[in-house]
Amino acid sequence: MSSWRPSDSAVTHLYQQSRADRWSLPVAVFAAALERSARKVFVTPPEPRDLERLLGSLHLEDLALACACASGHEGAWEHFVREHRPVLYRAADAIDPTGGSRELADSLYGELFGLVERIGERRSLLSYFHGRSSLSTWLRAVLAQRHVDRVRSTRRFEPLPEAEATPSARSEERPQPQSRISEYVQLMRRTVTAAISRLPAKDRLRLGYYYAEDLTLAQIGRALGEHEATVSRNLAKARREIRTDVERQLRDEERMNPSQIDECFEAVVEDVGSLDVSDLLGAASDSPDSSGRPGSRRKDSRDKRSKERPEGASA
Amino acid sequence: MPERDHDHSVERLLRRVLSDDVTRLQGECVDGETLAAWTEGSLRAADAAAVERHVADCARCRALMASFVRTTPPVPVAETLWRRWHLAWAVPLATAATAVAIWVALPDNGAAPLTPAQETNTLARDERSESPSSAPATESVPAPASPPASATAIRPQEEKAKLAESTNNETRQRTDRSASREFADLQAPAAASPVPQAEASPPAAPAPPAASVAAPTPAAAAAERGEADSKKEVAANSGLAPLAAARRAFAPNQIVAADGTTRWRIVSGQQVERSTNAGANWTPATITSTDALSAAAAPSAIVCWIVGARGAVFVTTDGTRFVRVPFPEIIDLTSVSATDALTATVSSADGRSWRTTDQGKTWSSGR
Repeated sequence: MSSWRPSDSAVTHLYQQSRADRWSLPVAVFAAALERSARKVFVTPPEPRDLERLLGSLHLEDLALACACASGHEGAWEHFVREHRPVLYRAADAIDPTGGSRELADSLYGELFGLVERIGERRSLLSYFHGRSSLSTWLRAVLAQRHVDRVRSTRRFEPLPEAEATPSARSEERPQPQSRISEYVQLMRRTVTAAISRLPAKDRLRLGYYYAEDLTLAQIGRALGEHEATVSRNLAKARREIRTDVERQLRDEERMNPSQIDECFEAVVEDVGSLDVSDLLGAASDSPDSSGRPGSRRKDSRDKRSKERPEGASA
Repeated sequence: MPERDHDHSVERLLRRVLSDDVTRLQGECVDGETLAAWTEGSLRAADAAAVERHVADCARCRALMASFVRTTPPVPVAETLWRRWHLAWAVPLATAATAVAIWVALPDNGAAPLTPAQETNTLARDERSESPSSAPATESVPAPASPPASATAIRPQEEKAKLAESTNNETRQRTDRSASREFADLQAPAAASPVPQAEASPPAAPAPPAASVAAPTPAAAAAERGEADSKKEVAANSGLAPLAAARRAFAPNQIVAADGTTRWRIVSGQQVERSTNAGANWTPATITSTDALSAAAAPSAIVCWIVGARGAVFVTTDGTRFVRVPFPEIIDLTSVSATDALTATVSSADGRSWRTTDQGKTWSSGR
């Protein structure tokens, strides 16, 4: 029979596996946590076999610890403070080495402890842990989520809207040099965006990590389980594909000749003005480090990359 | 306009276009819990693919993932060895040599001694070609070195394909280097940087199992290994590898616990069975794996570690129910050795290894 609720025998077995007796956790509380985890994963009541697979794959010891902490068990809290609280603060320091995220970590710790009222009752954030990952990974992810959402909520600048109507190069009137550059840049943005959208999700992710988030090759490798040299190779490959795609679009769809195509690419390099605006936006919104925005680090690292590459693109 | 200038323009555009705060995909943003489950590979395949698609196109979720990555403790990831063009020639050579050595080092089925608990064992996929009744107490038990045999036997074609692809990639890369200065610059330090684990290992995928066999083991095993080593030397010139490797690839292997009567075996790649009477009867163990399982180690009658593709690590402490152990890398693991329920060392095909002393709560990388 399909149900989110595990059988009594399964609960007993999982309870033993979780070593929940260390925290004197009532079996009923643990069973309720298992059911919550199942409801989180399955929209409709699962078949017993699917439920068994899910529950068997959970991080049961961490789930029992989270339940015990949420119930206020002193020994469980001591264990959490000893084993997991340092993870939280190390993660905060990694997100913002200047200490800007410590406050977030403190606030998160308060919620874990149940100091914050939720829907009229004090409930520990740990009761929202479902055991689908280890507790330490979950803590780091929740902290990262808080950080990003705070940064975005305090964002003061939005990117300039992209022009929807881009004049074609087939336009009969030859535009003035500056406006022509601008039009070519818009055209190039459009073709590059189209080319990116045709790449596989993993390639788009890799490009986004590198160009937008300014992760290092090693960090990207860590995120994707690749060696940094592999990341580098894949990035180079994706960039080549984009270039080829853009050239094809300009040639086949915009009916441009080689000289016009070259002009389009040159326009991007010559379009210093809008690049400055873009950088200024980033710098202005990122300048106070205390705001927790990562952008100043981004700009720094970009500058660093440019310096590292004498012939870098951002001339 | 030279190609490399086009590349520079593309780079500038990529920075600008990708930095736009735009979500091109309709769909739910990722919360911390889902992100954590995704990064540990706990999501179902369809859900994981949906998350990847969303994160690729959602500025907010990509930033979330980037922040999360910054909190991840660095674990060195070695480049797959056959990706190095200057070592590529060694792959088929070393594969063949290892297969030959292992074939000779292995005693015949009937004569193999029981595997000591601390030894590493890789289990060939049970093809179910034998009925349970054909696995009596006298059934063959693989010697410690058998895993590489199956591994190498299965992989030559795959490795050749990877090698060809790698060579092509490298050729293309070298041709394109003038047009890809940035990435050439970036790759140079990465390629030149020492990767100790890989550098010191024999340049072939089968290295890790051999290395872990050489890990601390009981004296009896050491003596047996010494004998095997001498056989390897003889074997080096025998030239019988392909036939032997093919023969070994289809031999159903088992992992034997220290008591000699408790055994586990991998069936159909993702299921595990256990016998408590030296293989006379088998009962299914509970394991939830979506990845192919490849190797196991049993330090006691109730503790067994199993590893597999994409960083799959499982352990049972009651003999029948395996639980997933978190592992920091998404990489194919090919061998495991364990001393108890807490301590184990796993190795990947490219020669790296990781050790845990707290049942996977933390891993340290090393040789």
